[in-house]
Amino acid sequence: MSERFIYCEDREAYSTARVRALEALLIKKGVITERTVDTVLEFFETKMGPFNGAKIVARAWVDPAFRERLLADTPKAIAELDLPDGMAGAEGEHMRAVANTPGVHNLIICTLCSCYPWPVLGLPPYWYKDPTFRSRAAREPRAVLDEFGLPLAKNIKIKVWDSSAQIRWFVVPERPEGTDAMWEGELEALVTPEAMMGVAVSKAT
Amino acid sequence: MLTQFEHFAVTEMMGKSDSPPRANGTFCFSSEWERKSFGMALALAKNGYFEWDDFRDELIAAIGNWEADHSVDRSSWNYYDHFLSALEMAVIKAGIVDSEEIMAAFATCST
Repeated sequence: MSERFIYCEDREAYSTARVRALEALLIKKGVITERTVDTVLEFFETKMGPFNGAKIVARAWVDPAFRERLLADTPKAIAELDLPDGMAGAEGEHMRAVANTPGVHNLIICTLCSCYPWPVLGLPPYWYKDPTFRSRAAREPRAVLDEFGLPLAKNIKIKVWDSSAQIRWFVVPERPEGTDAMWEGELEALVTPEAMMGVAVSKAT
Repeated sequence: MLTQFEHFAVTEMMGKSDSPPRANGTFCFSSEWERKSFGMALALAKNGYFEWDDFRDELIAAIGNWEADHSVDRSSWNYYDHFLSALEMAVIKAGIVDSEEIMAAFATCST
């Protein structure tokens, strides 16, 4: 065992004890309860996050009529699903879905993270707010996608959608080949936030 | 519709030096103490024990100091080390607990 490993292990134990102490103290003083942390983080862990987007996309994959409704009136179609309250709220009300097809790939970008459709996609990645990413994605999306590990054939058209305070876009990726036997819940696991931003595609495994 | 405090608080951090580690649309907590630190800070600010911006000022300063001291070797970086220190500082400054109480509680928990 290296010295560094011992050091890290000690530091981990030290931090664990510090947090346990602080939490116990705050509970004893009646400032928080044992449920407080779970309650506040529930918002990110179970209510608003990429799991919602995955459910929407998986439904669109198994139900072509839903897919049509989703593209025609996104908030109305989302309201059909049993998703947490607030999906159609401050961030959800202006959402618009665009679907990839064999000939068209969609990419979403935005200037402000407040415009990110996070009830569906969760927290934005680091590079999303980077001005270089945004300007390059708008100017040369094919080169940017290539750098993301997504080389697209020349005959595939790339559409770039800039989210704003008015409209927050998300992408319905194509259903991967070889997934015909999969049920909706299994398909959800194949939908990543990056695929719903258009910097990746969904894969069967 | 009013924006949820949780949403507002985390959105403010995005693209700033104190933005928390994340991947695939969710927070990256590598252990339970990191998750609890984040949850406690958010809950205390939500309930008005201190201002989220004041807490962030502590955190940004702590991160800045660490970066100034580690301009070359950054292998020991852990965001939540600084987050926890900023949280302890914030609860003391807010008058919720004092440092002696924290030390006493730590002595109990670490034995």
